[in-house]
Amino acid sequence: MIFNTPIFVLFFLVFLTFYGLVFLRRRPRIWLIVVASLVFYGAWDYRFIPLLVGSGMADYFIAERIDAARDRRGRRRWLTLSIAINLGVLGLFKYADFVILSVADFLRLLGMEVELPLLRVVLPVGISFYTFQSMSYTIDVYRGVIRPRKGLPEFLAALSFFPQLVAGPILRARQILPQMHDIPVPTWTDVKTGCLLITAGVFKKTIADLLAIPVAKAFDSPEPVSVLETWTGVLAFAGQIYGDFAGYTDMAIGIALLLGFKIPTNFRLPYFAVSPVDFWRRWHISLSTWLRDYLYISLGGNRTGHRTRNVMITMLLGGLWHGAAWTFVIWGAFHGVLIALTRWLERFKGLAAFNRPATRMAPVKWALTFYLVLIGWVLFRATSIGRAGELLAQMHGLGSFPEAAGNAVTILIWVVGVVLAMHLVDLFVLSKGLWLVDKPWLLWILLVIFQALCLMTGEPSDEFIYFQF
Amino acid sequence: MSSSTSSSSAPAPRGPYARALLAILLGFAGAYAIVHLFAWLNDASAETILDRVTEARSYLPQIVQEDKDLVMVFGSSMTQAAFSARQFDRELAERGVEVKSFNFGFGGLNPYFQDYLSHRIRDALEAEGRRFELTLVEFTPLQNTRARWDGARPVVDSYVAMLGGAGDIWEIVKRDPTRGVRVAQIKYLRNEVSAEMATWYFGSMLFGGRTRPDAGVPADEEKDRALEELGQKLNEAFEAEYPDFDGCNWCWQWQGAGTIPAERSPETLALFEEYYDALRSEQRLADDRLWRITCCDIEELEFEETLVAAFIRTVKNLQAVSNHLEVIMLPRNLAWIGRPPEAQRRLDEVLERIRRETGATVRSFEDAEGITPEMFGDTTHLARYSGDVAYTHLLVETYAPVLER
Repeated sequence: MIFNTPIFVLFFLVFLTFYGLVFLRRRPRIWLIVVASLVFYGAWDYRFIPLLVGSGMADYFIAERIDAARDRRGRRRWLTLSIAINLGVLGLFKYADFVILSVADFLRLLGMEVELPLLRVVLPVGISFYTFQSMSYTIDVYRGVIRPRKGLPEFLAALSFFPQLVAGPILRARQILPQMHDIPVPTWTDVKTGCLLITAGVFKKTIADLLAIPVAKAFDSPEPVSVLETWTGVLAFAGQIYGDFAGYTDMAIGIALLLGFKIPTNFRLPYFAVSPVDFWRRWHISLSTWLRDYLYISLGGNRTGHRTRNVMITMLLGGLWHGAAWTFVIWGAFHGVLIALTRWLERFKGLAAFNRPATRMAPVKWALTFYLVLIGWVLFRATSIGRAGELLAQMHGLGSFPEAAGNAVTILIWVVGVVLAMHLVDLFVLSKGLWLVDKPWLLWILLVIFQALCLMTGEPSDEFIYFQF
Repeated sequence: MSSSTSSSSAPAPRGPYARALLAILLGFAGAYAIVHLFAWLNDASAETILDRVTEARSYLPQIVQEDKDLVMVFGSSMTQAAFSARQFDRELAERGVEVKSFNFGFGGLNPYFQDYLSHRIRDALEAEGRRFELTLVEFTPLQNTRARWDGARPVVDSYVAMLGGAGDIWEIVKRDPTRGVRVAQIKYLRNEVSAEMATWYFGSMLFGGRTRPDAGVPADEEKDRALEELGQKLNEAFEAEYPDFDGCNWCWQWQGAGTIPAERSPETLALFEEYYDALRSEQRLADDRLWRITCCDIEELEFEETLVAAFIRTVKNLQAVSNHLEVIMLPRNLAWIGRPPEAQRRLDEVLERIRRETGATVRSFEDAEGITPEMFGDTTHLARYSGDVAYTHLLVETYAPVLER
């Protein structure tokens, strides 16, 4: 049940009717959120509902134990159990076959031909998102940042809250649990802002689906394609993954706002970044801050002598979070190296301002950063490391390649245009959103026109890239 | 932008949610109104897109009222080109058999869509308690391939919305709610034109659609020039021979292209011969063959399960309202369309499955005697006034005994 599908609109209208007009007291509303969220999740695969509820309940009860434990050792033991359960679930469903295949490949390298049995477990939708969210709860209780909540339904409602269940943003317990306790009522401004964000999200998601065609041509074509078409495909993928993910989280934030819930932003014009560090401050902010707070800092953070190691471990695992494939690991490592390198460059006089956006060198830094991000996307999207190598060679004109098709330049112009359009829409929402919300007539006219545009444009797509993560 | 909160004791106010609901509903109403306006401005509707199919469907109530025994010939554009309903009826009448036959051959409708159309036909006949005396359902290998299915992707949901009824959509909802609601939305809220169809249409205009491949054979300029002149002459001949022509309802286009050789002058028929000869230039036929390979995998025949299953459903739908039904394969242009042994094996398997699952006789006219490559207009379709006459005659010879019973 993807947000920009008619069935979700129907689902949400029914939910909103019951939530806002029928169940007006807190307790039934909490249960309504839980039931609706489980229906929403079960629409993909109802078999995984017990997994979602079970892992959440485990963390709920473990958090109580952590709080009740008398000494640090006891608290640590319960926390270890929580992390083991969450990572165990992730490992089993997401990484088991990857590990088995990697072991088999490694043994093959050593000359041992072995056939290891694969588990072939179906990956539950959004598992990486909700396990991280659930885990942050026990870690925060362990650290004493929050007290464990009383009330399992409230906790389950927070964990399974359907707007952000399958694709984030990854919420911290301290961000969502207080809201579940108080149940906010949306103001008219919330409703208008929510509609604005939903429309901006639908617009980006629609463009992302359209970009799938040039992406497939560059990445999935069995025949080599021209240098120009490879660049077009890589640029299109940059737009596709941004539109797909940022569009989806915008819709999630907007839908939550229609109910009065506040979810923090997850993207801030990432392709305007002027350094790799800046990029990660703008891209998938809820994941990068999660990794910073719960992994990087746990490893020692910026402590002298360990910073590079900690960055590399964090980014490698961040890469692996995205998927069980070596291409993701390499993508994470690539960004780890870029961040470490940027930090290292800061040591030199004259380069200290590298991570600051407002300098005269900003256009050069932007171009370099964008180029490096594109290289990263090749690693991310390619079906194998070998294929990534081929594509990188194609991009840089190494080897011999066919001539571009007659319409290649037109397609490139359109791809650049729509990727830019997505960012301009975001820039407008970020800088003029509040102004627009205060101009209701203009706001509704624009929203209706953009919604109509999205209804008239599209590619058959029941997919959302980030679900697989 | 700060929200208020509801305490555990006081009920939340309804107003903010009611306003949110109203905003969403009005917003969508406005957006769908623009979509309708856009479709209207572009003349996009089931009638303009499916054209002859919707016309034929709308005539179903008339068809079931016919006095004579009914004969249905159902299939693709190959049937549309090859079967002359009026010729068929005349030849049978000469043998003392009075029937009314219909050419339900439609270009662009693969078996997945034919399945929905055959539902409508079955519904129409069952509602009046009528049955076809004879039904011939064309099985065209190229219509059932994976390549064909891939090419139809952008129009699938739109066509289903156009051809399907409420019952069909409800069946989809039960099988796959996401898709069912989507198709219902296309049918009832957006004038049956899906976003993909609009994008596909405008995308083709902007970026150039699927271009027909070039087989590299040099053009025959003399034949190309002759085609232009002959086309003009044929138009003039039509105007002279059918001065009262007024739209196509008079000729029951859905009954089979109307005109028959007996109504045309010898000079016009000679012009047609010249026309088809010019049309069959080496370059045109080579390009056409390559196009059929690209779009439909006509030679290798990698079949698509979705389409084969839909074909079987189509046969069963029509069987339910037919006294005698056979699955037939039309003549193949053996000079241009080859078939490797592996493809033949795959085809035989599919035909055997059709026989097994429907119990229908499968009869192949692929290498029918008397039908030569010179009777084709291209690599797949029979030509008017030669190929269609021979093929229709062949059907009369084959099925007269069934109808005489």
